[in-house]
Amino acid sequence: MADHDRTEEKTDDELACEARDGSRRSFEELARRYKRRLFVYLRPRLASDEDAEDMVQDTFLKLYRNIGSYDPAYRFSTWLYTSANRLAIDSFRKGAAVRDKAAAVADLELPDPAAGGDVGPGGSGLWAAAQTLGETRFRVLWLRYGEDMTIEEIAAVLGRTRLAVRVLLHRARTSLAGRIGPDMGRAVRPQPGVARQSAGD
Amino acid sequence: MLCTLSHWMISRAEDRGKKLPRTVERHITRCSACGAYARSSASLASRLKEERSAWLAKVPDFPVGLAPDMEAPARDPRAVEAGRPRSRRLLIGLRPLPVAATVLVIAAAALVLTQVVLKEAPPSAQDRAAARAAIKSLTSAPEELQGVIGEAESSLDKERRILERSVSSAVEYLQARLNIKIERKVTPKSL
Repeated sequence: MADHDRTEEKTDDELACEARDGSRRSFEELARRYKRRLFVYLRPRLASDEDAEDMVQDTFLKLYRNIGSYDPAYRFSTWLYTSANRLAIDSFRKGAAVRDKAAAVADLELPDPAAGGDVGPGGSGLWAAAQTLGETRFRVLWLRYGEDMTIEEIAAVLGRTRLAVRVLLHRARTSLAGRIGPDMGRAVRPQPGVARQSAGD
Repeated sequence: MLCTLSHWMISRAEDRGKKLPRTVERHITRCSACGAYARSSASLASRLKEERSAWLAKVPDFPVGLAPDMEAPARDPRAVEAGRPRSRRLLIGLRPLPVAATVLVIAAAALVLTQVVLKEAPPSAQDRAAARAAIKSLTSAPEELQGVIGEAESSLDKERRILERSVSSAVEYLQARLNIKIERKVTPKSL
């Protein structure tokens, strides 16, 4: 029990190093920490929650197979999201989970910003509104503010230039600010077709 | 236009964690829209970070794990070498194609250098004859030089004679015209 507690106290990079050295428990702790975060990141690209869960599982399996090549010079989260991104791209190319992105936003089981209630200052309305901005803008916002990544790390994960990432972030913030209005979130309303338009960023 | 630029500068300052430029700060004090944008941009970032946990808590839980019989993979010693510089790792690990191309170019250049430049063929009979002619022209240079000097001197003499003739004719004219006699004091040796 004490050992388990210590595992929970360790940083991601420490756990990744231990997993590289053969600690299965450390890897499972990493999977526990990141599965929901990865789900949120991958969900807008995939057709259903089940697809997203499968993709999360595939990502962790791939990571475990390649954990021997983990380099502590990089943050674990950057490595994880880069792998997830590549897997999602492969999946998209194979056509296994292609779907209408606008419909996906409506199908999400995550909180609906139009439903009121949680939407508002202090609630979780901002991220719900962010999901309506389109897949690419949401991913950039998530990596920046959900994972606290630097511009360089986001560029590495997405395979884009730093300038492209800055432009994406600027557009995402501007759109989000416009969406939530001057009272910062009380009037969050998803606009039909916006996700489709901004998916081409 | 200025507001668009101002928004971009506000975003850039937000991403870099730096202060706004003075020009933008001045603009913000005058432009209420840009002021609102700057305030919302700052609060947006902090609120997105704050609301992250609450947002994640609403994601339904699902199992993720490794199969019990799945063995731990072998550690790759190449990737975990401590203290290896990042640029070198990128060069060799992630970009093998440019490295291979560079090695190929260097090898080709070395081959050309050894086969063509350094390994010269022995001189042929024509080369030897040309070399002899060049040496001969060098040794005969003083004779040619004297000829050139002689030609130059003869042209000077010719010019001096012309000048003397024109001077003497001018003297004769002046003597006849003015009824005087002009004599040469010193005979010039040479011009």
